Amino acid sequence: MAGGIAVPRMLQISALFVLFLASIPLGYLLLRAIASGFAAASAVLLREKTVSTLITTVGLAILVALFSAMIGISSAWLIQRTNLPSPGLFLVLGTLALAVPSYVSTYAWIALIPSFAGFAAAVFILSLTTAPYVLLAALASLRRIDATQEESARASGLTASQVARRVIWPQSRPAIFASLLLVMLYVLSDFGAVSLLRVDTFTRVVHTMYKATFDRSAAAVVALILVLLAAILIYVEYKARGSAVAAKSGLGSIRSATRIDLGFKKYLAASYLLIIAIASLGVPIYVLITRFVSVAAEINVSNLVSATIATVSAALSGALLAMLFAIPLGILAARYSGRLSRYAEFGILLTHALPGVVIGLALVALGSRLGFLYQSLPLLAFSYAVLFLAKAVGSIRTSIARVPRVYDDISRSLGNNNWQTIRKITIPIAAPGVITGFLLVLLTAMKELPATLMLRPTGFDTLAIEIWTQTSISQYGQAAPYALILVLVAATPTYLLSRPDRAQSSESRENMTL
Amino acid sequence: MTSLRIDGLTVTYANRPVLNELNLHIPSGAFATVLGPSGCGKTTLLRAIAGFISPFSGTIRFGDQLVSVSSIVVPPERRKVGYVAQEGALFPHLTVAQNIAFGVSSKGDKQEIVDELLVLIGLSKLANRLPNELSGGQQTRVALARALAPEPKVMLLDEPFSALDAALRDDLRAEVSSLLKLRDTTTLMVTHDREEALVVADLVALMRHGQIVQTGSPVEVYHQPVSPEVAISTGDVLLLDSQKDDLGKINSILTPQLLNKEIIAGKLVIRPEEIRINSDGLGVKATVIDLDYYGHDAVVHLDAGGSKINVRISGDLKFKVGDQVGLEHIGPIRWFPN
Repeated sequence: MAGGIAVPRMLQISALFVLFLASIPLGYLLLRAIASGFAAASAVLLREKTVSTLITTVGLAILVALFSAMIGISSAWLIQRTNLPSPGLFLVLGTLALAVPSYVSTYAWIALIPSFAGFAAAVFILSLTTAPYVLLAALASLRRIDATQEESARASGLTASQVARRVIWPQSRPAIFASLLLVMLYVLSDFGAVSLLRVDTFTRVVHTMYKATFDRSAAAVVALILVLLAAILIYVEYKARGSAVAAKSGLGSIRSATRIDLGFKKYLAASYLLIIAIASLGVPIYVLITRFVSVAAEINVSNLVSATIATVSAALSGALLAMLFAIPLGILAARYSGRLSRYAEFGILLTHALPGVVIGLALVALGSRLGFLYQSLPLLAFSYAVLFLAKAVGSIRTSIARVPRVYDDISRSLGNNNWQTIRKITIPIAAPGVITGFLLVLLTAMKELPATLMLRPTGFDTLAIEIWTQTSISQYGQAAPYALILVLVAATPTYLLSRPDRAQSSESRENMTL
Repeated sequence: MTSLRIDGLTVTYANRPVLNELNLHIPSGAFATVLGPSGCGKTTLLRAIAGFISPFSGTIRFGDQLVSVSSIVVPPERRKVGYVAQEGALFPHLTVAQNIAFGVSSKGDKQEIVDELLVLIGLSKLANRLPNELSGGQQTRVALARALAPEPKVMLLDEPFSALDAALRDDLRAEVSSLLKLRDTTTLMVTHDREEALVVADLVALMRHGQIVQTGSPVEVYHQPVSPEVAISTGDVLLLDSQKDDLGKINSILTPQLLNKEIIAGKLVIRPEEIRINSDGLGVKATVIDLDYYGHDAVVHLDAGGSKINVRISGDLKFKVGDQVGLEHIGPIRWFPN
């Protein structure tokens, strides 16, 4: 990146404006917490409930990361490096789990076993939900390692397990650690599963405080602890990602390693993966379909249609707004270095650390002060835009970085000014990536629960809200049609992105959820 | 028909000068090459001429038109320069014909201009192909046609052949240079390949550390280098320690003679083909210690009283390792004080 290039004024102004907008939720929470005074804030911090919530949240995050790593790494190794029967099928099954929101699989397990609740249940559900992140990261790094490396190591006398420990693991470690930090971030932000399972992590406690009291300042203080935890993870992940990229060497075409013959044990391996697939996908689908059939006669089609329309309209406006916000920041990140770019990156990382429940809390409090915005669709769309800003910026940055600067130079030398160049060169080349990014943000927004729950206009019941409401009052059958539609909508792109024949970057896969 | 004149051009990057008071004058219609090692500022020079970067000081003129002074920098789209980047950089979303037409503003003649250029580069049949369906050489041709289409005043080529394999490179280079000379387009090509710089150019500019250190015809820069460093940049050389006296006589291992007073130490610059090897031992005694046989010519490595001397010979290889021979200097004397 050339250092001396000045950032155009319009870009500077719009980037700063977006950063200002994106900082509103966090800024408002900070103001609320400060306004409550030091004594009040420390009283909230030192409450026994706060301490136990901290232990629950951190404990859950660590345990889920552990199990998710075990499932993800073992699945990746079996799929990529052994003669497992039909590895392609297991890859698709392993990644399709991404399409099932945690609150949907929780709903399914509760519908199956009504006593399903508590900490262990949350570890179970969240480990299954997040394992695909580790699977994809481990798979990508296994594929990146050239077979000649392993062959040279074997030739110099190392056993297969020594190769795994001394050649493969050191190269996969950065990517896997980065994915585990994402997993922990997911656990911190998750609201649906822990709430349905009645596990008091910070997200549930913040929501309860918001519902039960009008003391928004105390809720703000607790929400800020959550933000701090998430910010620590984001920071570590950001640093780890830097070293993960550095660890990649510039290999040309990569020859993949020969698969290990498991012999008879390959059926054991297949059964293991099948059990995981049944727990993460099979049970939800079975429950959804049987419950759907059982209530098929009494389905209120007009409610279903209106919920779908509500979901699509909220997600569509949120995703459009997110992309609009992301344009100046994405261009800045892809094309310019310097102080403003670093501020922008920092700001984006910070929004990434804001769980939906936190943004919901901040905006609901702010909205109640600005009456015209309270429980309005624009405010809900705005919350989505802030929530998914990091993802939107990521897709725009990647797409624009795909257009080498030399194209701009040549276009200019051929008589086109800056704007003509953007119109004729940058946009056409970047468009497919930007559109994919938009669709991913759209789909993620459709699954969003906590911010929607807190900010939706009265009577504005999306699919996610319907599933939540019906499950909360044990109307499992009633929830099924909504959950089925949501899963079907979310599964299509997940399937397309996970197909082994598609040379999709792991980044676009990682963009899928969170 | 436009000449290109650059005076005192300084370009800084992170407060360090990349181009330092650089001067260069290319007459109208000439094909000039800038030869220099990587990192000497060649590409920066092209980018400043094209207007992609703003110089710190100095002027750039296209004919009478001042396109860059410190206060006024004409943007690239108003300079009428053609720019061919390394590996072509064709727009991936446009066909061959659309790429060529990209810079043509007049709607009426567009098709005509594209067709004519397609014939010129011999790719009429590939007009509707996308760039990723073309070979490297075809991409370079299209990039050239695209740059030529708006009839630029000055054509800038940034190592356009470096990504191509050797055989294709020679042919395409000849083709491109004759095409540009035919159209009388003032051309500046930068390269780090010394053969490439000499073979196609009317004018060669040698660049070092952000400055042009010598300009001249290929023959001039090869045979009359202004310094030993410049001599090395245009071809193989022997640098022999030598002494010069107040009468101008020079003593070296190849030109042994008795010197008068007032001796200055320096270097004698000799090209490897400027030494004759006499099988009969006439001249300075030497022993053949190694042979590099290239087919069209060969390099004989000799030891003359402890000095290593390489000689390029053409024709039959008449020597073998261990032969005692005589060496005779047959070229011009180029001497530089230390």
